[in-house]
Amino acid sequence: MSERFAEAAGRKVVSRTTAEELGKLTHIVVDVKRRQVELLVVGKGRKALLLAWEDLSGFGPDAVMASSENALFAARDERERAAADGKIDLVGRRALSDMGNDIGPITDIVFDPDTGALETLVLDDHEEPATSLLGAGSYAAVIRAPAK
Amino acid sequence: MRLLVTGSDIRGLPVVTIDGGEDVAEIRDLIYSPEAGRVIGLTLNKRGFLAGRRREVLPAETIHAIGADAVMIDDESSLTLPDDAPADVGAPPSGRDVTGDEVLTEGGMSLGHVKDVVVLVGSNGEVAGYEIATTSGGTGYIPLPAQLAVSGTTLVVPEATKDFIKNDLVGLGAAVDDFRAKLGIS
Repeated sequence: MSERFAEAAGRKVVSRTTAEELGKLTHIVVDVKRRQVELLVVGKGRKALLLAWEDLSGFGPDAVMASSENALFAARDERERAAADGKIDLVGRRALSDMGNDIGPITDIVFDPDTGALETLVLDDHEEPATSLLGAGSYAAVIRAPAK
Repeated sequence: MRLLVTGSDIRGLPVVTIDGGEDVAEIRDLIYSPEAGRVIGLTLNKRGFLAGRRREVLPAETIHAIGADAVMIDDESSLTLPDDAPADVGAPPSGRDVTGDEVLTEGGMSLGHVKDVVVLVGSNGEVAGYEIATTSGGTGYIPLPAQLAVSGTTLVVPEATKDFIKNDLVGLGAAVDDFRAKLGIS
């Protein structure tokens, strides 16, 4: 099974220990080097909190289960604040091929809900495997151009 | 079919790192070697409005690709201080700008004057031809390698070049391979 961010966005995040809803999933932060979901953002604006992928008990079709309500934390540094604001999402990022041509933006990402492994980048008119992702930063995500 | 951009398309492009996705500089100008018939380096501005010149240069061998939307480098180590760059890139001799040079065929016919160089998209500075102001007052594109001799003011090109003057970059892209085949150059 694969999960698309576009379908998962807005899903409720629930504590496994208290069964309380903690908020809604608003953003997903990917560790580009590992091509792995690293953080989830719960809620938005100044109340947005972060949840590490390791602190999930499950990423289900109806709810994202946090191992406990204490697993959520407020941003502690600049990168985490940017993450909480949705500023380092891959989705919406300009995509450049390594040949220097604009092929973006990235419109969605597909990942494995069991492992958090990034599987696919969805672009305007085609998809690229996650292995094509070479780097991502404030200006663009860089994607290996298909071999000719 | 090849994708091409002119030098003026390249000026102002962001320089983006492949490993980090960061725009670390932007292109100020091209360093073109008429003898080599290629771009041997790029000079840089800081990124942003009115940010000014950056001292570092990008020698061609540190460029991953010149694209239509960005110049790609592996990482910031490609930004080279002039003293560390090859001499003709770090301190380019003056008077090598081909812009304004007259283009003469071997038979003595003037095709016009050079306006700009035309670079192969995806290369690190391979020049496919020149944009010229034609003698009839329009803009044309001629393929390279075509020049036989170059002085400070004039380029001499094979007679066959006059049959390959194109009205646009798309036309030149299609003509480059035909032209090279005709001259027996791969």
